[in-house]
Amino acid sequence: MTDAAAPRLGFARPSRKLLIGSVAVVCFFIAWQAVFLFIPYNSLFITKPSLMFAALWRLTLSGQLFFDLGASAAPFFYGLIAAVVVGVPLGIVMGWRVRVGQALDPLMTALYASPLVALAPLVVIFLGVGIGGKAFIVFLLTVFDFVFNAYAGVRSVDPLLLNVVRSFGGGEKDLYAKVIFPSVIPYIVAGGRIGVGRALIGVLIGEFFAASEGVGYGIVRFGNFFALDSMFAYILVVTVIAVVLTQGIRWAERAGFPWRIGQ
Amino acid sequence: MTDQRLDLALEGLADTPADESAPAASIWQRGEPFVLGLLGILIVLLIWEAVPYVVTMKAGTKLFFTPPSQVAVTLWELFATGAIWAPLGVSAAGFAVGLAIAIVVGLPLGILIGRSATLNALFDPFITAFNATPRLVFLPLVLLWFGLGLWSKVVIVAFGAVFPLLINTHEGIRNADRLLINVVRSFGAGEWDVVRMVVVPNALPYILTGLRLAIGRAVLGVVVSEFFGSDQGLGVMMVQAASQYKVNIVFAGMIVFMTLSLTMTSILKLLERRLSRWRPQRVAGE
Repeated sequence: MTDAAAPRLGFARPSRKLLIGSVAVVCFFIAWQAVFLFIPYNSLFITKPSLMFAALWRLTLSGQLFFDLGASAAPFFYGLIAAVVVGVPLGIVMGWRVRVGQALDPLMTALYASPLVALAPLVVIFLGVGIGGKAFIVFLLTVFDFVFNAYAGVRSVDPLLLNVVRSFGGGEKDLYAKVIFPSVIPYIVAGGRIGVGRALIGVLIGEFFAASEGVGYGIVRFGNFFALDSMFAYILVVTVIAVVLTQGIRWAERAGFPWRIGQ
Repeated sequence: MTDQRLDLALEGLADTPADESAPAASIWQRGEPFVLGLLGILIVLLIWEAVPYVVTMKAGTKLFFTPPSQVAVTLWELFATGAIWAPLGVSAAGFAVGLAIAIVVGLPLGILIGRSATLNALFDPFITAFNATPRLVFLPLVLLWFGLGLWSKVVIVAFGAVFPLLINTHEGIRNADRLLINVVRSFGAGEWDVVRMVVVPNALPYILTGLRLAIGRAVLGVVVSEFFGSDQGLGVMMVQAASQYKVNIVFAGMIVFMTLSLTMTSILKLLERRLSRWRPQRVAGE
């Protein structure tokens, strides 16, 4: 926003920000490592970055990390896909048919506001601790992100554009292809960005409750063994995945839908 | 930065007020969305209630099924016997202390990074990383550090709630009108005056939006931390009920959490609307 006033700074500013940010992260790890020169180190309580990265390396080499990642990734994707398949059409219908929207809106809002996480114990008892249970928790937590975003996307369709297409003789098919989909898809992607974070929560909850594999299970197990270096390594992995997913989608939004940046 | 505002807009979308383009609408027309919404909920509840009469369930499945009427009875009993107050109080304490800490940390930090580009660049990687990461991964660690009980709950609640507050405050501060800031400066105001007279009033609606999102996250934090690492509270009650197949109590607890969350967020929504009424640019439809 401010960049427009000073195009000369437009390039310098983001790179300066990136530089300061990277320096801050590096300093953070150095300070974390260095602080144990001054205070006693208790391996049952915290770990050092050096040990954490060593553990990460060890777990990567042994294949344990990839095994757990794979076990967590399957329910993550199944749940998300199910949420898109159910949520997007529902949201589009709610947006397109005004009365359907009015009838379902309060129900969906109430469900969205309720801590559906609370159903996790029931889901785990009912569907088991395997892929099914975890995927269903992911689905429950993310489906409303897609419903509400598709709903908002349809409602944001510019009636003027619809009329233009109609005036030039466009049929129902053209309306969908030329106006509705282009305006709904960015909303769905934005819903996906919010949903990805909640999906991660869903996978972790499923694995914390009861599981025999997966990243969440790994974190709990390492915690129980006081293997804090491995535990921190897994936490770091989850952090990196979360950042890459959300920032990746954000980047894709900017690259794919440049017309939305100003909105 | 626009995308963060997009997030806010999207998260607030569920409550966009209905179109007020027809001022001469009859009572029925104005009441229609409300009636339809009520009908929608009622129909779902009726279908749910009718399931056992239509479908014959296996004994195993029956263990997990409960009609809404049973849930209502359980909810009533919990309140009538007073059994709910002790766990609810424990949960409320964790919620209140955690949210208070989030406000005390989030607001000043948000103002600071909103006013200083360097501080913003310094904190941005951590805020992005910790905001994107589900705080659940830290739960085993927090339990290790703070033990079972109030404080690990408070930490989880505060950790989740601080980021919406921080990010929204930052966004609101950054969006302050340059012109107004320059005017106040021309009249000899220092940084403190600028913050007090222009920046914070401008950021107030953003801060309230942040607070609303923070409340939602705080409630989730209470549930999650009580599920995995606590000895008392409403969430603990629900997990224990689930393991004893007392499905009614699980749903009743969920309804209590949902009601509290909805009540608090709608109060804040009203406040947001009330407090942004003075804004000239909103009136002008900018």
